[in-house]
Amino acid sequence: MEKEILTSDRTGDSCIHVKHSSGLDIYICEMPGFSGVEALFGTKYGSVNTMFRTAADSDYTTVPEGIAHFLEHKLFENEDCGVFELYAQTGASGNAYTSFDKTVYLFNCSRNYEENLKILLDFVQKPYFTKENVDKEMGIIGQEIKMTNDNPEWRVFFNMLRAMYHAHPVKIDIAGTVESIEKIDAELLYKCYDTFYNLNNMVLSISGNISADKVLEICDQCLKPCTDKGLETVFPPEPDDIVEPEIHEVQPIGTSIFNLGYKCAPASGIQRLKAVSAASIVSSLLTDPALPMCKRLLRDEVINSTFNCEVFYGDGYFTVIFSGEADEPQLIREAVFEEIDRLINEGIDEKDFQRVKKSAYGVMVRELNNVEAVASLMLNAYMENVSPYDAISIMSEITCGDVIEFMRSQLRRDRCVLSVIETEA
Amino acid sequence: MIYKRSELGEGIGFTSIVDEKFKSCVLAVYFLTESDEKTAALNNLSTGVLSVSNSRYTSYASLCEKLSELYGASVGSIARKKGDAQILGLSASWLDDRYAIDGEDISGEMLSIVCDCLFAPNVQNGAFDSESFAMVKKDLLDNISAEFNQKRSYALTRAIQTAYRGEPAAIMEYGTKEAVLSSTAEEAYSAYKELLKTAKIEIYLVSPTEKPKFSDMFRESFAKLDRTPKDVNMRNHSPLKAEVETVSEEYDVNQCKAVFNFKTDSDDRYALKMLSIIYGELPFSKLFLNVREKLSLCYYCTSRSISVKGAFFVDCGVERKNIEKAKDEILAQLEEIKKGNISDTEIQGTLLALDNAVSQVGDSPSSYVHWYADCFFENDYYTPEEHFRRFCDVTKERIIAAANSLKLDSIYLMLNKEVQE
Repeated sequence: MEKEILTSDRTGDSCIHVKHSSGLDIYICEMPGFSGVEALFGTKYGSVNTMFRTAADSDYTTVPEGIAHFLEHKLFENEDCGVFELYAQTGASGNAYTSFDKTVYLFNCSRNYEENLKILLDFVQKPYFTKENVDKEMGIIGQEIKMTNDNPEWRVFFNMLRAMYHAHPVKIDIAGTVESIEKIDAELLYKCYDTFYNLNNMVLSISGNISADKVLEICDQCLKPCTDKGLETVFPPEPDDIVEPEIHEVQPIGTSIFNLGYKCAPASGIQRLKAVSAASIVSSLLTDPALPMCKRLLRDEVINSTFNCEVFYGDGYFTVIFSGEADEPQLIREAVFEEIDRLINEGIDEKDFQRVKKSAYGVMVRELNNVEAVASLMLNAYMENVSPYDAISIMSEITCGDVIEFMRSQLRRDRCVLSVIETEA
Repeated sequence: MIYKRSELGEGIGFTSIVDEKFKSCVLAVYFLTESDEKTAALNNLSTGVLSVSNSRYTSYASLCEKLSELYGASVGSIARKKGDAQILGLSASWLDDRYAIDGEDISGEMLSIVCDCLFAPNVQNGAFDSESFAMVKKDLLDNISAEFNQKRSYALTRAIQTAYRGEPAAIMEYGTKEAVLSSTAEEAYSAYKELLKTAKIEIYLVSPTEKPKFSDMFRESFAKLDRTPKDVNMRNHSPLKAEVETVSEEYDVNQCKAVFNFKTDSDDRYALKMLSIIYGELPFSKLFLNVREKLSLCYYCTSRSISVKGAFFVDCGVERKNIEKAKDEILAQLEEIKKGNISDTEIQGTLLALDNAVSQVGDSPSSYVHWYADCFFENDYYTPEEHFRRFCDVTKERIIAAANSLKLDSIYLMLNKEVQE
């Protein structure tokens, strides 16, 4: 078992990283003075992982859309009882989520964390899939899919991804479709489970009112050693260009909404973190009400306070997305195009740059106030193959030149998609 | 943790919570007033304007610029309702001075910004600054239009309006769209002056070290104002309708929503909360286990008790053809509880979940604010431990009595346009 202490030079915060003999990566942050405990047990397996093989397989396996999410639902059922019944006996609040590139099982509690950790580690390592319990889940997930189809923010986002990516499975809805999940059966679930729920592909992140020694003792008891199976996930080749620059849909909604996304080059590890930092600075500058573009759009009532920008990225995809409510999103696209050109040509005002950096630093430090946020920070660091405090260091080192270079190379007009959900006439 | 509450003037409370583990500070200033259709829109707009500019930072741009210089500090407005009351106000949060890279006095700057927002707002000729007012008004109108974007919360809002029709609790936190449209900057400023004069005011500051300058500032500033605070009664039970009313609306949606409203004459809010958990708040609740897991009818089917109004809601997303089936099961599960079908395991699980929730009060600055503000709204000051003890005193009989007190009042259905089977 290899153990290291990771520390932030900026804030003095630290956590422990252990490479456990079972194959699992473990991150632990003891937070004195806090009552709660947050534990996340995650695997690098999300909706984009639809094609894969291990070293023992000669061919790639392709699985139905939405299977990672379906598996997450089904793992909550043990052979003898449901996991929620177990948490009900300890008072913990248990849950799980599936995203594009990960599935995470979690609990939050203020007492009995040792018992809760045993429950978490046990049920995630003990799948139980049958025809009956798989069939039963179809109706529940079918309703979940219908619910998200009525969510315009979800629709506008996926429409944008579909107009941006030709082949990458990031454009697939996380839960799949009512039709795609009908192809899922117990055998396929076991195949996916055996491939991705290998401890060499997983992480435990736990923070709050805990003892690191106790956590490691429980891990020693509960983790079943895994052999690294040489997992290989593949994605179809994805061209640099977009599918179409504009996509519209009409929905029964009260206010039109838009996503304006730039398709950027994917990256990984520290390079990706640097790109995320540069993109975050760009997004802050372009949504800053103190700067001319945003000031003008607010004054002309083209945008309102919902105008926002986020960086969205993962394995094989990276985008910068502006979003909000607007009746004339084309005007926003024009303004964003012009402002990016202006910043590239005229440079970024050093005072504005330092102000935005300071603000980003403040937000990052404030996140360390919170048990849940710290657990997520450590989990995401594992998923991205970086250290939990790298983002603070990289943000403090980033220069105006880095940001301008990011805009010049990544924020290209011909790789920009405007997705709009319009109100019914 | 050091907790201190003091009276700064008539109807003005100031609570300071010092907890050294935090890296940031949170301030919340609440104005409590009765929900009134005539003033709700103006009150909402007035506190909205307070958070976008003041007499020193006279534009949203200049205030935002200053806040981002202060390591991404924030100032926001509060506008919501609880029972028959409208709760308005101003909130702020900022990084503690210890983490300022260049040694800035962030707290001192924020003290001055908040002071100006509240006591020296951006006003000319007896009206709020027109540009700030126009921006806040547009934002609010857009928010109102966007309500329908979120189908579940829209269905709940429609159910609340049906259940409380004719009562102050049915008034939205912004009043009506028409009232917002016709509001002027002058009327909004007058409404703010009236709030300063008549609202009950409660202020909370959570910080890692003591910051006495804040209470000094509020004491001195309020001392200059002429105040005649009015009592607000937010706890009024909503009367049961003579007949169950069903409101159905058709939209082009994929999933139907059903919201069932029950009324109760019980004041036993502890038993009602435990009933709600056993019935439908958590994954071990009867609605989750039966409507979702056993019958696979819904992805969500949950309950909530609104004790200040003597109301209790169950909401779910469901296929149109399954609405009756879901309704039958929802009512059947309530009948089970009324008959006493509650296991010791369910009661124990409920208490453990409640203990888990109250034990984490104090894990974030805002959790302290919410806790003590709720005590103030309930006019009942207790510690999280005392709160939990009251739940422990609830017997199975009290939970059964709470269930038996529920009477179906109204149903709201959001239906899709598919042909009925």
